[in-house]
Amino acid sequence: MDRPAQIKFPIPEEELVYSGHTACPGCGAALAMKYVLKGLGPRTIIVIPPSCMGTIAAGFPFSSLKIPVLRIPFESTAISASGIRAALDVMGKEDIHVLAWAGDGGTFDIGLQALSGSAERNDNIIYVCYDNEGYMNTGIQRSSSTPAGAWTTTTPAPFVKDTPKKDIVRIMAAHNIPYIATASIGYPADLIRKVKKAKEIGGTRFILIFSPCPTGWRYSPEMTIRLAKLGTETGIFPLYEIENGEKYTLSSKRSEKPLRDYFALQGRFRNLTKENLQQFEERVEKEREYLKRLAG
Amino acid sequence: MNVAMGQKPFVAITYETTESNKTGSWRFLKPLYQDKQSPCSAGCPAGEDIGMIEMLARQGLFKEAWETILRENPLPGVCGRVCFHPCESVCNRKDFDSPIAVHALERFLADAAVGAALTTKWERLPQKNQRIAVIGAGPAGLSMAWFLSMLGYPCDIFEALPEAGGILRWGIPEYRLPLAVLQSEIARIEQLGVRMRTNNAVVSETFDELRRSYSAVFLGCGHAHGAPLGIAGETPESVKDGLDFLRRARQGERPLCDGFSVVIGGGNTAVDVARTITRFGGNAAILYRRRREDMPAFGDEIAMALEEGVELEELVAPSAIEYHNGRLRLLLRKMKIKGQDKDGRGRIVFDGKKTVKKVIDHVFAATGATAAEPWYSPPLAQRGVMGFSHCVLLLEAGGAPVIYGGDLTNEAKNVAQAIASGKQAAMVLDTYFERGIDEIKSRLEACVVGDGPALSMEAYLGGPRGGRSSHLVQYGEINTDYFQNETRVTQPRLAVEDRSCSFNEIELPITAESALREAGRCFNCGLCDECDNCYVFCPDAAVIRSGNMENRHINYDYCKGCGVCAVECPRYALIMGGEGL
Repeated sequence: MDRPAQIKFPIPEEELVYSGHTACPGCGAALAMKYVLKGLGPRTIIVIPPSCMGTIAAGFPFSSLKIPVLRIPFESTAISASGIRAALDVMGKEDIHVLAWAGDGGTFDIGLQALSGSAERNDNIIYVCYDNEGYMNTGIQRSSSTPAGAWTTTTPAPFVKDTPKKDIVRIMAAHNIPYIATASIGYPADLIRKVKKAKEIGGTRFILIFSPCPTGWRYSPEMTIRLAKLGTETGIFPLYEIENGEKYTLSSKRSEKPLRDYFALQGRFRNLTKENLQQFEERVEKEREYLKRLAG
Repeated sequence: MNVAMGQKPFVAITYETTESNKTGSWRFLKPLYQDKQSPCSAGCPAGEDIGMIEMLARQGLFKEAWETILRENPLPGVCGRVCFHPCESVCNRKDFDSPIAVHALERFLADAAVGAALTTKWERLPQKNQRIAVIGAGPAGLSMAWFLSMLGYPCDIFEALPEAGGILRWGIPEYRLPLAVLQSEIARIEQLGVRMRTNNAVVSETFDELRRSYSAVFLGCGHAHGAPLGIAGETPESVKDGLDFLRRARQGERPLCDGFSVVIGGGNTAVDVARTITRFGGNAAILYRRRREDMPAFGDEIAMALEEGVELEELVAPSAIEYHNGRLRLLLRKMKIKGQDKDGRGRIVFDGKKTVKKVIDHVFAATGATAAEPWYSPPLAQRGVMGFSHCVLLLEAGGAPVIYGGDLTNEAKNVAQAIASGKQAAMVLDTYFERGIDEIKSRLEACVVGDGPALSMEAYLGGPRGGRSSHLVQYGEINTDYFQNETRVTQPRLAVEDRSCSFNEIELPITAESALREAGRCFNCGLCDECDNCYVFCPDAAVIRSGNMENRHINYDYCKGCGVCAVECPRYALIMGGEGL
């Protein structure tokens, strides 16, 4: 029986990631990379600061990506990308995309000033932050992306993190850059659609990708996608796009599942109290209302 | 490292890909593609590969889907109409929204194949030397002949009546099973070379002769003899046989049923008799000793009968009958429910001494049937007799083996079980001839679908279905993230006013579009449909796909055994096993 050979999932076939990389089993960041490169294609240069992805993509003398990778210092992701962009423009290679790729530590904390600078200048780069809510590469330290109530090695139980996650998207929205999106590895088709949309726009584009981390979040690796989906389905990580800092579009994803479904799977939330949960619920509800209002 | 030192600042440049790093050594659990059994297939007495049929149908491969049915069941047009579809009551989708309309799809595929005059070349085993005689051209005999032909045995069917079909031809009214549907299925069986010898009743002398001239004889002449009620005053004239009434109606007669008739019984025959009477212009009431919910007849059929004007009286049992002013007077005892029987139905007892009298014109008995001749019944367990779930094999010196099947041996008497019986009998005989008596049990066990007793002929013939795990997929094993609520297709029906005065088929066909949509609802429990989720969600790019299942595999050099593919497999066709597997 002859059967069509095309891939059934609506995503591009070309694989720009090699097997054999050193990501942990079930790594969400590795999937995020796989999808983003499927969206951007081979004419891409990527800039990576210290992060899990730094070790996954290019641990000397190996590289797991089929595109050029430049490893740069922690705080300089965006500005390095801007520099490469300027050089490519001078060389007339305008069809090459420059991708800045950092974790939440390298984006929310350490790389924030460079990112803000590039965004303010509206440099023509795509900045992807794969968000696993902590410094996972160095041993699970808290970052400003770590949610309240979460255990990390620097917020050990019972002194779990007591401040909520920094809202990086609002910070970026305040820069009025052409395109901002949140995406999740749980929804590859949606993620790649957003990457492709960003690809067609000039200026600074920022994509925040929800990338569960089995090692740092303390869950069994096979649950990575399930957890990514739950993040969105419970409303913890809403998916939306912002164009020019003002046009909000919500991706229609269900957000009706109870928050505890999401927390129950993760060891890092084992110490979550009833009050924590209630605060979470209120915050999620508030965020939902806020986004709804902006999306009109 | 072709960096010219001195011209550019020193930069460490990678010169190898990570493919030299065999991360497969990290793994302690191993993902494996493994097709499993769906509950519908195990629930289907004929063991049809329903998950696969719906998968093919969804892809628009109607011919392949139809062929997949025929591999296990020669009568899809019949079963798509009259089967009680136990597959649907065990469908995993019922826990999600509502079960797949398997019977509507089966009928659609059968009708589409007939409509397009599809034929198919069957890969049959080489012709054998043994000739088999099949007595009775009912569903069991037809099934036996079909599967025997597949296995390479020439066979002749002996049928007492002028046309083949048995209960399908003479017992089920045309509004449920149009003649043309049955005829096309019988024609397909004849095309395999089966000789149909109608008007050829086998009596005990000719039976012995058949045992001498054939290598084996299959006895599947069914329970065609209506059982009497056993009440005072009963004569063949006062209490008529319901089955005989249906037979005469299907022969084109108009049996006497003017005025008011009562039908005693609660099965499909009772309902069919009552509905046939209303179509002939009479009035009919069904009298049943238990309650409506205890009736073995299909709920839908009862509901339609009531819509058509048939009355139903529950909890009454006939106790005597007499002639009364040229009419009949039936004495009924009232019953009441007290507790429950083992099968979950209400246990009935007499409701004190309460009785009712009814003056009516005709009484039909439809309380069950028996074999017409005592020698039809299989022998009791003894030396030389082997009993199976759906047939009994008799081996004795001085005659060819006899194999009893259909209603003669089946506990549940319906079309699907009769087909199952024919299939099992064919397997039993083939194994007996080819490998000897000792191998029969183990060979049958190897073909069991799920937890049985349904058997798969595809597995018997060494097809890919035999390679599936015996695990029966449960609802909890389906990843419902990949399915959305969708309404089940409703089979259109003739309006009450159009159907109660004619024998036109009541259930109307569904469109190809709704068939595609309905087939798309199927979870295909335990079967890979190449959805590519494993490929898409592998963080290690270790799933290799190339368009067909044969080449789809996991690259164990790099698979770290994270298990994401197994969790995200919507259909539970991928599992994590120990490294040793």
